[in-house]
Amino acid sequence: MPPWRFLVFGTLFGFVLSRARATDYDTIAGMFRLTDLHLMFVIGLGIGTAALGFWLLRRTGNRTLSGQPIALGTKRWHRGAIGGGLLFGAGWALSGACPGTSLAQFGEGKLVALFTIAGILAGTYAYGLVRSKLGTPAPTIRVRPAV
Amino acid sequence: MYDAIFVTAWPWWVAGPALGLVVFLTAWLGGKGLGVSTAYGSVCALTSRVPFFAAKEYREAWRLWFVLGLPIGGAVAFLLGGRFAPGWAYGGLDGLVAGSLPAKAGLLFVGGALVGAGARWAGGCPSGHSIVGIAQGSIASLVATAGFMLGGVVVFNLLVAVLGG
Repeated sequence: MPPWRFLVFGTLFGFVLSRARATDYDTIAGMFRLTDLHLMFVIGLGIGTAALGFWLLRRTGNRTLSGQPIALGTKRWHRGAIGGGLLFGAGWALSGACPGTSLAQFGEGKLVALFTIAGILAGTYAYGLVRSKLGTPAPTIRVRPAV
Repeated sequence: MYDAIFVTAWPWWVAGPALGLVVFLTAWLGGKGLGVSTAYGSVCALTSRVPFFAAKEYREAWRLWFVLGLPIGGAVAFLLGGRFAPGWAYGGLDGLVAGSLPAKAGLLFVGGALVGAGARWAGGCPSGHSIVGIAQGSIASLVATAGFMLGGVVVFNLLVAVLGG
């Protein structure tokens, strides 16, 4: 599939994030205050639906509709999942956004998302710079056709 | 029908399966497990020679096309829903910072930086880890997601305590 076609999937994903209220500051605040669990249920059912879909794909030989192999990219275990997860959560709480929702927010006309997006780029770059000085770790995504 | 799709809020039992369906379609039609945060590394790979970003996962063109669609999707949702009104407002945070734009800018930039560094350290974000990763049964994704939520709950309540919301 030519790479530009992923623009369609990205547009769909941004649309659904917006309609799911994942881009809404007050919904994120409610989730972290544990007063509005809407988004946790959304993520939970999203996982269930994706898991069912991946299971169906595995059963049918892990091929795309046009017969190409599917490379989902498995996340291998590493201790960074703990520290990185907590650090990410802290940033999510301060900004009310994550890498996907900040971009969708900008499209919605929430112009403050530009600060979040700039911050994410800066944080990504800084992490890469520090890790490069310390020695580049192994990539965390392992691509293999079947899971 | 139009109202149900574009105007009224989606209940969680509609939004959740819709989210999972887009993940499934990206795999079934596109052959990829989607993930947003890696694309920020792809931007770093395009604009710098930092060795960390030389890894293959940062050199895949589809990731940039995918994230380019995210603002389009957000714009479509708000335009068709009749809510498109660009501005600097940001929900309840405006009350927490007494409407100060510099305070919001600082908070969002610092928060974004933690999100960016945390995602690279954890190896993913709520899309790649929490949905695509957990749906494949990855332990790293489950642990990272517990971290996202725990870190978020603790720091958000600290923030509210400090700002007095």
